[in-house]
Amino acid sequence: MLISPLLKALQPVPQAPVLGLAHFGHLLALLMAGLMAAFAWGGEAKPLQDWRWMDVAGEGGMVLMAAIWITQLRSSRPGGRVTSWLCLGLAGILLGEWVDVLDEFWRLPKAVVWDNWLESGMTPLGMLVLTIGLQHWREEERALSAQLLKRERLIREHRSFDAITQLGDADYLARQIALEQRREGQSGAALLMLSLDGFDSVAREHGLAEADRLLQAAGHLLILNLRPEDLLCRYAGDRFALLMPGAGPALAAQTAGHLQQALGGLAHHSRQGQRIQRPARVVWSAVDPEEPGAQQPLHLAARL
Amino acid sequence: MKAALLGLCPAPGAVYQLGTRCLVWEHQAVLLLEFARSRGLLPAELLAAAGFSSMPSLLSPQQLLDLLAALQAQLQAPDTAFVLGQLSLPGHAGLASHALAQARNGRQALELLAAHSARLSPLLTPRLLWHEDELLLIWTEACGVGAAQRNFVVDMQMSAVTALCQWLGGRRLPWRYSFNRSRPRDLSQHAVFLGADLQFDCQVDAMRVPAACLDEPWPRGVADSMAAQALAQGADPGAAGRGLLAALYDHLLPRLREAPTLEQSAQAFGVSSATFKRHLAQHGTHFQAQLDQVRTHWALYLLLLQGQSHERVAQALGFHDRSNFRRSFKRWTGLVPSLLA
Repeated sequence: MLISPLLKALQPVPQAPVLGLAHFGHLLALLMAGLMAAFAWGGEAKPLQDWRWMDVAGEGGMVLMAAIWITQLRSSRPGGRVTSWLCLGLAGILLGEWVDVLDEFWRLPKAVVWDNWLESGMTPLGMLVLTIGLQHWREEERALSAQLLKRERLIREHRSFDAITQLGDADYLARQIALEQRREGQSGAALLMLSLDGFDSVAREHGLAEADRLLQAAGHLLILNLRPEDLLCRYAGDRFALLMPGAGPALAAQTAGHLQQALGGLAHHSRQGQRIQRPARVVWSAVDPEEPGAQQPLHLAARL
Repeated sequence: MKAALLGLCPAPGAVYQLGTRCLVWEHQAVLLLEFARSRGLLPAELLAAAGFSSMPSLLSPQQLLDLLAALQAQLQAPDTAFVLGQLSLPGHAGLASHALAQARNGRQALELLAAHSARLSPLLTPRLLWHEDELLLIWTEACGVGAAQRNFVVDMQMSAVTALCQWLGGRRLPWRYSFNRSRPRDLSQHAVFLGADLQFDCQVDAMRVPAACLDEPWPRGVADSMAAQALAQGADPGAAGRGLLAALYDHLLPRLREAPTLEQSAQAFGVSSATFKRHLAQHGTHFQAQLDQVRTHWALYLLLLQGQSHERVAQALGFHDRSNFRRSFKRWTGLVPSLLA
């Protein structure tokens, strides 16, 4: 039972290219082998009693960790500028430490300086490159956050995202309501809930895949109709919940009517070319500053 | 009282156990595979995760549970039980499903469901209790469901009946639900797929609805459905089958006054006491637990719905005196009977 997840974890995962090189890892290994050959060829092997085991373990561990970080980074990110900077930085650190490790096993003649140069140059250089990479990463995050606007606010929690609509779920909504209640100087907030009338028959008549696609389309459509500070979540089933920070009754009522019209006007076309259109229902209430965040959507769900 | 018993225990059928290969692959398993596919999980992956090497033509309730567990683990979505339930009735289980799809009204549909649960709800046995102007639909285990999967299966079946009535009746019925579990943190799925009236920490998994709602004619209903007639004449004998635990429930309920024993029950099932004991152990339970469960349900019925005195209830459950009954009731439910009445 324990073996299979372990094997799964060890299976090779696709690695992103670095600087366009798909075999960056192999290149790195080749460089390391080359350095080792240079040490073996130009240096004199230290006798066993001169090996300092603490240093070997410490510096070897650094090399290993840097290698793991590169692998994880390349398997979790798409290739591109940011990935390349980050990987090059880590590669620099890895090579610098590698020279350090080799130093423990071979003694190079005093006249040879390139190893000192590598040892004290590569690691700081790698750190510099890594820092530049992190700076680019921050810019990238900012761009991505703009794309996620109206889908997430204040906190990111990938486990709370619904797989079908890529919106936050009921749990995420409850925590956002709680955050909204705690915010000081806030002039109230409104909570809306929308549903599609007769949605349950869509899965029966057109299949579950079509019902899921309709939900996706509805999610996209609603997002387009929101203010930047609003948050849309998929509550459960065909219920979408909308948290509108700072919205008073007039704005909430106006938005409710507008979204109901937009959702009711959505004509989704199935893969078989059938037109699926369902009227929408909407209810809303002001966010209660006292009641727990998980309770408030329940009242709305009961009214729909 | 007689009528209540009749609804709770329909005519007896062949008994199936957790390992009996009695479920036709096309009836339930195909629905699971189709659901998995629509959620991006290949049927082969699901089968592998559930430990199947090939597609059998018949599968056992245990294998169906394995498939459900694999589906739940692979998809990790909170709505799996509910969506699966929504799509599972009337279903594709031959005559029983045909008859269900043509039911004239809710009353007939639920009676069909209860009488042919081996086809329509093989893991959890629905029992009908008509009381005054209300129907109680009580879910009891058919042939054992592990504690880890029990909530999933209960949610699935409740969602199935709710969606069936909504789909065929054309409107949502005002169901009220009670659950034999503590209140979960997140109620969103229950609230949306079932309804707002949810009660937790109850003694039984049950749903209730005003009986009048079930007598409204259904738009798709067929007056003298051939399928229902054929079923009534026994065209699908397997449909009347009962899971071992459900059959034991059926056996015990009318005999509570006589304080039935393991030996008597084993005899009624045509096996030795030792064999019967072993069978019950294979279903994750033992005789006393099952007897206590039936006694709890019946005591609750007599106390709460019939409003009977403690003496009479004690008598009906085969106790010699009131204090013995009170002590036992406290042990079964953690409650004192006087708190209920």
